[in-house]
Amino acid sequence: MGGIILAFELTRNFSSLIQAQAVAEIEKFNELTSWYGLVLSHNEAIELVETRSLSLRNNGRIEFGGGVINIILYEFCDSPYISMYNYAETINELVEIFYYYKNETLDLMSDDDLIKFMKNSFDGICQGSLELLSGRELAHMACNLRYGYAPDYLENEECDEEDEDGQY
Amino acid sequence: MANIDKSHIIDRALLSGENYFSSILHEACVSGILTENDLKKLQIQCIEFLAYKCERYNSGDSSSIRVEIAESIMKSNLYTIGIFLKSLLDVDSTALQLKTETISEMYQKGRKIIDTKFRTTKHIYLMMQKNKIDNPNYTYNATIADKGIGIFFNTYNLDFEAHESPASIDYQICNPVDDLVGVEFIQKYTGNLLCENQFCRYFDSTIIHHLLCGYNDKYENLLINIFEQVLTTALGCIMVGQDPISLNITQEDICILRINLNMSVKELTATVRLAYNRLVSLLDIKSPSVKTYIEMSLPKVTINIFNAVKFDTISNVFPPLKDLNLLPKIRFFSNEKMENNEYRKIIEELISCRSSSNKLALVNEKIHTFGDLEDVLLDAEFSNAEIEMMFNILSEVELATLINRHLITDIMAEELSETELNLRSCLQRHVEQLNYNKRKRILEIVDFIVEE
Repeated sequence: MGGIILAFELTRNFSSLIQAQAVAEIEKFNELTSWYGLVLSHNEAIELVETRSLSLRNNGRIEFGGGVINIILYEFCDSPYISMYNYAETINELVEIFYYYKNETLDLMSDDDLIKFMKNSFDGICQGSLELLSGRELAHMACNLRYGYAPDYLENEECDEEDEDGQY
Repeated sequence: MANIDKSHIIDRALLSGENYFSSILHEACVSGILTENDLKKLQIQCIEFLAYKCERYNSGDSSSIRVEIAESIMKSNLYTIGIFLKSLLDVDSTALQLKTETISEMYQKGRKIIDTKFRTTKHIYLMMQKNKIDNPNYTYNATIADKGIGIFFNTYNLDFEAHESPASIDYQICNPVDDLVGVEFIQKYTGNLLCENQFCRYFDSTIIHHLLCGYNDKYENLLINIFEQVLTTALGCIMVGQDPISLNITQEDICILRINLNMSVKELTATVRLAYNRLVSLLDIKSPSVKTYIEMSLPKVTINIFNAVKFDTISNVFPPLKDLNLLPKIRFFSNEKMENNEYRKIIEELISCRSSSNKLALVNEKIHTFGDLEDVLLDAEFSNAEIEMMFNILSEVELATLINRHLITDIMAEELSETELNLRSCLQRHVEQLNYNKRKRILEIVDFIVEE
């Protein structure tokens, strides 16, 4: 056990180094997203990395390496519902939603598939509403997965019952 | 020539068998073999290796992982490295190894050792299954079965949960395995049980059964260790000059033992040791592992005997042989039940009858078999007071049979109907209300009753 405690303390000691690296990577992505008129400032990039750390901690998860921020940035930069005015805020919320639903889907969905599902729903049926994305589409999809159905299965009675009282 | 032991900087006794890597890291730092920089380097390597293993765990599908899974993978990694370090003979050079080899290299070597240990353990397990003794003890059989220890060989995850021992093990061995986990624990446990079986096989399984019945009639459902009981009794036999194979210690022998074994722990240890030497030569035990295992068990046996002499409970340590088949039995026959139509008429009559005394008279007049009476108690919608009246007309043997069928049963309450549950609680109440002598007599009959 001692070794594990040492090891996890180490992640905290080195977290500043890891964060600086992540911020630099996000800033690098500005080159691509600027084609869509989307740019994150240095402070916004720091805030995004902090959001990731907080979400990971809140959801009891740990991440090594660059993480999923870059994939989210890449996937959502061409969304018609994201503009320069809501870019940073939306990405921050998407990162939070992502880690929450990694747990809710019991890790049954890969990062890429979950982000693709989020993008399709966000641009499609949710028409840019993060509330609908998180509270309806992803909740329904996660419930489907937990009951062993396909993610897009529609007639899941268990999920409807679950939705009514807000719990299983 | 006297043995010359090499002096070590790290004391092996301070190292934990369960968390070997962490403890040797700690001791190496305390003794100065590892510097702070060495420790930091090892920590970074541990994190890098954890990241690699987490990626493999997720098959590249996910960049994040739950903290509890990451912790479990980390424990597994450290356990595997610990296995490799344990395999090195010299503790100090083990610590130096930490300076020269990388975490990944040590892990790979540990993983190979775990592979070998896993195969060896499976072999021991199969041997143990073959040499198990024929005994009805539930936990003994369940632990040895495929759904006991056998689960381990299908579910052990060498890559990510090497420190876990997924098996259903309830049987208590004489020398419990305390300081080990993972495959090491299972290997040690199966090895110990193999030795216990090998020793017990020197004795007739029926005699062992009779000995354990002497310990407790219902030992089949108890968490007892068969080997310890057999060994203690065999040593007792030697001490009173009986044949150890018979495992037969009579009341006279108990009196002799009570007097002869009233000595200090030191003297008793020597006496038990002498008896052990004689037992080994009489049984012609050749296997060094069995001999070592018995020797390991002697202190426990000695203390048990010492305490038994001290508190005058020696007959519990050396129980007499008891053959349950030779005990007197009460055979209970019930005649055939009446025809359904006739039975239905009686039930209708009983339900429509208002007076309890009339119901009792009707039962007395028309019910002639125990089976019918039992059905009537359930079907005639009697009140609790009426059921109590019916119990009062039953003989002691009939009451004992009802107790046997309804109170001493494996059927769980939730599997019973409401009327069956009510009958059960009425019966329980009735038995509790009986006077002490009658209750004792009836419960004795229950022990001897055999339904034909």
